[in-house]
Amino acid sequence: MVKNAAEWAAEPKFPNSHYVNSRIYTDPTIFEEEKEKLFKSSWIIACHESEIPGTYDYRLFTHPTGVPLIIVRGEDMKVRSFYNVCPHRGNTILYDPAGNAKRMTCIFHAWSFDTRGNCIDISRAEQGYQNRYRKEDSGLRAVKTEVGFGGFVWVNLDDGSCTLNEYIGPALDMLEPHMQEPMEVFHFHKAVVNTNYKLWHDTNSEFYHDFLHYFNRITGMMQPGYYDRKYVGYPNGHASVGSMEIKYDAYAGSKVRKIGWPGLAPGGWILIDLFPGMTYNLRTSVLRIDTSVPLGPDKVMIEFRGLGLKRDTPEERAQRIFDHNTIWSPFGRNLHEDLLAVYGQGRAMHEGTDSRWVIHGREENNTIHDEIGMRHFYAEWSRRMGRPAYDPFLEGRREPTFAAA
Amino acid sequence: MTTDQRQQIEELVYQSCLALDEQDFKGYLELCDKSFRYSITAFSPEIRKDMTWLDHDKSGMETLFTNLPRHNSDHSPLTRHATVYRISREGERAEVVSALQVFRTALDGGSTELLAVGRYHDTIKLDADAPKLLKRVVKLVTRELGIGHHIPF
Repeated sequence: MVKNAAEWAAEPKFPNSHYVNSRIYTDPTIFEEEKEKLFKSSWIIACHESEIPGTYDYRLFTHPTGVPLIIVRGEDMKVRSFYNVCPHRGNTILYDPAGNAKRMTCIFHAWSFDTRGNCIDISRAEQGYQNRYRKEDSGLRAVKTEVGFGGFVWVNLDDGSCTLNEYIGPALDMLEPHMQEPMEVFHFHKAVVNTNYKLWHDTNSEFYHDFLHYFNRITGMMQPGYYDRKYVGYPNGHASVGSMEIKYDAYAGSKVRKIGWPGLAPGGWILIDLFPGMTYNLRTSVLRIDTSVPLGPDKVMIEFRGLGLKRDTPEERAQRIFDHNTIWSPFGRNLHEDLLAVYGQGRAMHEGTDSRWVIHGREENNTIHDEIGMRHFYAEWSRRMGRPAYDPFLEGRREPTFAAA
Repeated sequence: MTTDQRQQIEELVYQSCLALDEQDFKGYLELCDKSFRYSITAFSPEIRKDMTWLDHDKSGMETLFTNLPRHNSDHSPLTRHATVYRISREGERAEVVSALQVFRTALDGGSTELLAVGRYHDTIKLDADAPKLLKRVVKLVTRELGIGHHIPF
């Protein structure tokens, strides 16, 4: 039955943990708060150690708060991170997305910095500053950096944050046995999509949308065990989905995967979502990592990485690349469908479209089509934001409740 | 190389663009030799590696086209513009380099945006009645393709 205006605006008949107000996906005030309350103090994947294998190798990363960062490996092989901002006149220090720099020199006035962030040269310092300002006063802003959980480089802008281990907790335990060997990134691309970053994370947090994918409908959903995959929620808003076996040869043009992954059952699949916008996705022969960098309330840049094993033979690597591309390259079967779907959400939820509610109401004993993954995320989101996702501006004029998922 | 041969090669490159633009996949495959190989590649300065994003033989391309209607895809039309820059003949083959621009037009026709630039690196077989594509490597300069696409460039 169709709805009139009042019925369309009425809250869904679910517990308030089972739906959110669509303004959390579109409101500029909320977006700015998210950067401060969620992203600034969260551990975020900046790159993988294989992207900076040698001394003085560096990689640039735009943090979800907007801060430009340099990730660099020093001569002691330690990985450190700094703002890519010259302390002199606020200019960009490094421009190329990756490279090798023993000295990082700002092109504007030739101030130079070493890989520990120390300023090692101020051009004509004595003539200009006499003894009032020295290179010892002008180091780079250091950012907390740790390497772990598969060799990824994690950064945290909050000097007082918890450790990476405390932040992740047990969330990646299911994957740890499969990340004991050194890995290597073979695929990297970015997708800028006009949608909210949470909508991408939502898609990674529920498998009900397998109906979107012809590939999944015939390779996964038809198989025994599919509906037994269970979601597990962890502290800090992380969640995982258990493994299952995929019969890839059910898709024309695809075939049984020739190579697998250490410790993973043939055709196995493990997916773990990390708050507030990262996903580990180990599927048969490839580990895919998504890192969301929100650019606005209605725009997100997603960094996609595909990883194999460092010890891969050329033939094994070629097979992993083929497996990856079949579903996850910019021309892959599934990634385009997923991105098309969240683009559509962004389009329908744009300010002024009178979209009101997004329902996370499916309950199936925490199994694959249950929407517990999103409910778990929004319980943490509401707690950290101090705003209930179902009523972020307290328009219902009630005391907020922060229900557990 | 005769002017006629050069013209045939150029027409083959342009016809391949038209066929894909019109989603005439049968017509596209008819331009390809039975040993045709197609790939899309890009260099990532971020990971400092050459990447392959799609790689199929002729049979793989046929399957890709056959599967298209089964998938949910963005139906915004693509328009491919190629300009043949260089043709080098080696016996019964020609190596052809063309500039490529791919435009995407909104479904309502309201706007057209430049989606990608790159080059076709084609190997063309000349010993048949009409030249045929033996190999096409699409080397993309643009690596940010938004939501991506199911139909190759």
